[in-house]
Amino acid sequence: MKASDFSKPIRQSSKGIIIIFAFNAYNFVRRFFVLFIAFGISLTKKKTFAHVTPTVIFLVIIGILIVLLVLAILKYLNFKFYLSKDDFHLSTGIINKDNTIISKSKIQNVYIKQNFLQQIINVVSLNIETAGDNKSEISIKALDKPTALKLKKELFTKSNSTETLTDVVESRNVFFRVSLKRLFLEGISQNHLRSFLIITSFVFGLYYEFKDYFRDLKLKQGLEELIHLDKESLLNIIIINTVFILVAILISLLFSVLKTVVTNFNLEVVENQKTIEINKGLFNKVSLSLTPSRIQNIVIKTNRIKRYFDLHTLSVKQAMVTVKQRKNFVIIALEKEQLKHLVDKLLVNYTSAIERSNPKGYYKRILALNMFALALIINVPGFILFGNIMWYINIALVLFSVLYVTVTYRKAFYKIDDQFLTIGSGFIDTTTNILEIHKIQAVKLKQTIFQKRIQISSVIISTASKSVKIPYVSETEAKSIYDYLLFKVESQNRDWM
Amino acid sequence: MFINQQIEINNLPEISSVELKPISKNYFKIIILNKAVLYAIVIGLLITGKFKIQEEAFQDNFIYIVGLVIIGCLLNFILSLLAFKKRKYAIRDKDVIYSKGLLVNSITTVPISRIQHIEESRSWLARKLNLATLKIFTAGESGSDLKIDGLPLEEARKINDFLSTRVNESI
Repeated sequence: MKASDFSKPIRQSSKGIIIIFAFNAYNFVRRFFVLFIAFGISLTKKKTFAHVTPTVIFLVIIGILIVLLVLAILKYLNFKFYLSKDDFHLSTGIINKDNTIISKSKIQNVYIKQNFLQQIINVVSLNIETAGDNKSEISIKALDKPTALKLKKELFTKSNSTETLTDVVESRNVFFRVSLKRLFLEGISQNHLRSFLIITSFVFGLYYEFKDYFRDLKLKQGLEELIHLDKESLLNIIIINTVFILVAILISLLFSVLKTVVTNFNLEVVENQKTIEINKGLFNKVSLSLTPSRIQNIVIKTNRIKRYFDLHTLSVKQAMVTVKQRKNFVIIALEKEQLKHLVDKLLVNYTSAIERSNPKGYYKRILALNMFALALIINVPGFILFGNIMWYINIALVLFSVLYVTVTYRKAFYKIDDQFLTIGSGFIDTTTNILEIHKIQAVKLKQTIFQKRIQISSVIISTASKSVKIPYVSETEAKSIYDYLLFKVESQNRDWM
Repeated sequence: MFINQQIEINNLPEISSVELKPISKNYFKIIILNKAVLYAIVIGLLITGKFKIQEEAFQDNFIYIVGLVIIGCLLNFILSLLAFKKRKYAIRDKDVIYSKGLLVNSITTVPISRIQHIEESRSWLARKLNLATLKIFTAGESGSDLKIDGLPLEEARKINDFLSTRVNESI
């Protein structure tokens, strides 16, 4: 293997042509997917479509593929990058030439990824991300692994400190590796409602796309007949519904487990001297490094079932990360001890020992009001649709509301010390949000006209990654928090990144 | 030398002791004009409805509907008048404060060291009335950006200059 020298402009690995070609082809197919289907269907029916014979179609497809290939080659040839002392330079573009320069000190993340195709031809892609908007992300699609690792290391090495290069290698320490069993547990204890919603929307989407096709198959009519027959006995309907719900739950469960296992397969957390590295994935292998100073918020999540299995989830929020990448910053299935260790590593000097403060009882009122609105939304159309039977649902609703209000209120707390702000919340999940005070971007005091009368106020704290809220504390308390946080931010003169 | 003095919470600069400055009264003219256009559109729609919709329930109760809409517009207008008085701002040595809202009142403070860039924008009307809008962007989510409408142009320029120099100093 050639020694990679990044000081001169180099291209990516020549296998990159295949990757670029595959990406383009995939995007092309995805964009015109519906068109293809419609075309295919009408073709099977009529044999010809507007005097187009299968041979012509075949030729057109070949033509498109050739164009895509040529584009891929051109793209490959025009894609060059090199490293100078402090900056990363990249030039791209076939006709419109783009020159991107990123200074090393502004790089927020470097990911190494490997999707299925890249695994087969043994290359990785390297993404460089800054805190700017989504478009500024740089992605080098095909590099062999040693080159990628070396490039990554050099990107993280400041120009003035050459000695860290060797240090990082030595202190590499795999600190956490997830077992398959714990992954399964994590999958099972997930929020299945979300999986259910994803599946439902997927099925509906599919149905919508192929609506005409289904109509041809007379599937709907058949289904209606089936239901119609069963209407004779109420029992059958109930059985069918229960079976349906059970199947739905089962599919959701399976989906959750599968998704968790596939995306987090072989999850490991590696402790380097300065950074923390996360590796995971089965089909899409991801490897990313976290620099503690780039972290804006840390969110720890668990729920009752997960706590029983000692499963904790830690997500790291950074500035302006795209939604797609955000999911990669989640470390699941941590044991309590490991969680503590990791938090210590990411947030130096963090103590959870200080006393919690709680929101005012007014928060309960707001929660109850929310539930009341929900009940109203359910009841009004329900009454119109089902009549008086509807009222029984309110018994369940009232019980649920009481549970919701008490649990949510009990879980809400906040802690402020010299360096950190901790906010707890959640109903089913127990969520803990930690942020360093010097990373605060803005502070906001919020109060409605009703709250003004009883002197209650909320504080909203924004960092570069998200906003958190200390809900409904007394006005004097809110103001002193406000003053204190601002004082801390303004007196320290520490950078947020 | 590293100093870690104990902080007396009571001695911190307080937000409630800051004297907030109201924005230019002229800005209310812009609000009135915007509102007037909105009301005109709503009432115009109603009147076209009168000729287009043949439904009896609508035609019979037309006068009540118009009444309701007018009352709604009036209420909206009064609320925006009262809310206008709540639009206040202040510049401190280390931060910018903006407060607004009648029904939901909020006071936002952005430390100067967290400002990414500042934008001064002036609509056609604002130019006529010699006003300017100052937008202050932070690195945070859009929620943490500040937008101060209706500053007198002089004032806006001054603030802009002051903040810009302060931001550059801190780097």
